[in-house]
Amino acid sequence: MSAKRRVTYIKDLLAKIGLEPERVQMFQMSSAQAAQFAEAARQMAGQIEALGPSPLRMKDKLLDEKQVEE
Amino acid sequence: MNPETHTNGYLSGSKLEKILRAGIFAVTAELGPPQSADASVIRTKAALLKGNCDAVNLTDNQTAIVRMSSIGAGALVLQEGLEPVIQMVCRDRNRLAMQADLMGAYALGIRNLLCLSGDHQTFGNHPTAKNVYDIDSIHMIKMVSDMRDKHVFQCGDPIKGAEPRFFIGAAAAPFAGPVEFRPFRLAKKVQAGASFIQSQLIYDLNAFKVFMEKVGKLGLHEKVYFLAGVGPLKSPAMAKYMKDSVPGILVPDELIARMTAAGKPWAGKKPDELTKEDKKARSEAWKAEGIKICVELIQQLREIEGVAGVHIMAIEWEEAVKPIVECAGLLPRPEIKDPEPVAL
Amino acid sequence: MIIAEQKPLEELKTLIGDAKKVLVVGCGTCVTVCFAGGAREAAIVSSSLRMATKLNGDSKEITDFTVQRQCEWEYLDQLTEPIENVEVILSLGCGIGVQAIAEHFPSKWVVPGLNTKFLGLPIEQGVWSERCAACGDCILGITGGICPIARCSKSLLNGPCGGSENGHCEINPEVDCAWQLIYDRLSSMGKLDVLLEIQPPKNWQTSRDGGPRKIVREDLRLGSKEEI
Repeated sequence: MSAKRRVTYIKDLLAKIGLEPERVQMFQMSSAQAAQFAEAARQMAGQIEALGPSPLRMKDKLLDEKQVEE
Repeated sequence: MNPETHTNGYLSGSKLEKILRAGIFAVTAELGPPQSADASVIRTKAALLKGNCDAVNLTDNQTAIVRMSSIGAGALVLQEGLEPVIQMVCRDRNRLAMQADLMGAYALGIRNLLCLSGDHQTFGNHPTAKNVYDIDSIHMIKMVSDMRDKHVFQCGDPIKGAEPRFFIGAAAAPFAGPVEFRPFRLAKKVQAGASFIQSQLIYDLNAFKVFMEKVGKLGLHEKVYFLAGVGPLKSPAMAKYMKDSVPGILVPDELIARMTAAGKPWAGKKPDELTKEDKKARSEAWKAEGIKICVELIQQLREIEGVAGVHIMAIEWEEAVKPIVECAGLLPRPEIKDPEPVAL
Repeated sequence: MIIAEQKPLEELKTLIGDAKKVLVVGCGTCVTVCFAGGAREAAIVSSSLRMATKLNGDSKEITDFTVQRQCEWEYLDQLTEPIENVEVILSLGCGIGVQAIAEHFPSKWVVPGLNTKFLGLPIEQGVWSERCAACGDCILGITGGICPIARCSKSLLNGPCGGSENGHCEINPEVDCAWQLIYDRLSSMGKLDVLLEIQPPKNWQTSRDGGPRKIVREDLRLGSKEEI
């Protein structure tokens, strides 16, 4: 339950910062459920790809380019 | 000048005081000042109450909603020929403002005061206001009785001119928590100087009888005039709301059932099927039953030892007071012939 | 202890404004215990602000530093180096800490990251409740250890009022009626007769109503005549 609370807290914080809360997800399963794990990983990877690189990295890139120009 | 002779032995010389002292079953009513500076509202409501009660209470920013002041409304009520009971809460004024306002009120001819804690400002329309509560209602009672009897301000300084001589009242909530302590808290108010009590609304006579017995055992029947609070129900919803949401009000299921039964002719229809005429007629039926219940309660309260009168709270329904008082056999109200004391 | 709560991130962003170099200062005492402004919270605030402002295209240098207590000059001396060239200090201390930093470093602009709420304690993990109003004239000796100034919504001294029902205050069913608590406590100790006495009006001069307060202990002052 503590992990769930932390994940909720982080999602909330990400939203306040301006990042997408979906970048953090929690899936519950036992260590024996290999197939479910693989599926969850696939799902998450797909979601992240859809969301694209973290906006912070884009900003880094933009700021770097800006500094080069100056 | 000896204050004893100047008020003919009365504490304040008010009509309410004289009626209670004479052993007459007193009737007080309530007038809610408007949320405006409109004096005509007071005059209109006063006209409905004139002759139907011995004195009328003017509430003080009731439920922490800003309204015309109790003292202002009280002065207007005096002009209309009725006797006011001003109310003062501890929520909005510190001890300086209280004493100043009360001296002004007395100078304007006001003679009766009900001291209350006051609903917390979170209930009202200015919840962001600063909380005063400098002193509590029991301190206020003592402060005002010391001004009258010892001629001193709360700080101990003597009052060198005319002292304000109020007939001082307090509230009682017989069924608020902790219930066992309520008679003792009433005793404290009497000890502090309260001469009369106006209670919270009573609908449950059995519970009230138990309370009044305890009050009697403390010897308070001889020391204070207890006016039981009554109020006509307007609808079953109002009865349920009072029971569930207002602290200290007990409403027996039997009364809720009677109110619901009064609406029976329209019970078959769904809410959206009711016409405007239906709703009006049903409301009239509810109100008639509410008044009937109120009259019965008054008649039964008169029989309880220690009850010196009733305080009728017909909230935003001052028109109901006359039929209630009339059906309860309490009209005409007595005229008091004693000369009024003149403020120095 | 002093209980405080973090201001929303949006408000923190407004408070630091255009500053390019910000130091978030945490406090290791009260606000650590109520999880509002300790070292961990300072690190999170610092990083959240970096990320949030970066997303707005604004690159700021935001770092954090935590001292044991912001309300003592000796601990604040540790900030001398970290605040060099810092334009805004965002203090995660209580109101006292924020003011102490401002007083100790008068050339620096200091802003509060917390709202200091009340004096209280954790009644269970994650739940803090007000207990003391710092009125300056403690009457807990006659109320069975329960404070009516802080815990009664109307600060009554001869309570309860008519708004007490089922042990709760009329303003909110989650607020205990302090006078019900006092009644129960005194009842359980066989001391109900205390409630029969009329308590006199409070002298509010010892509380904040009398003006800002100060205590001077000559016996403790350095260079006092008492010192040998």
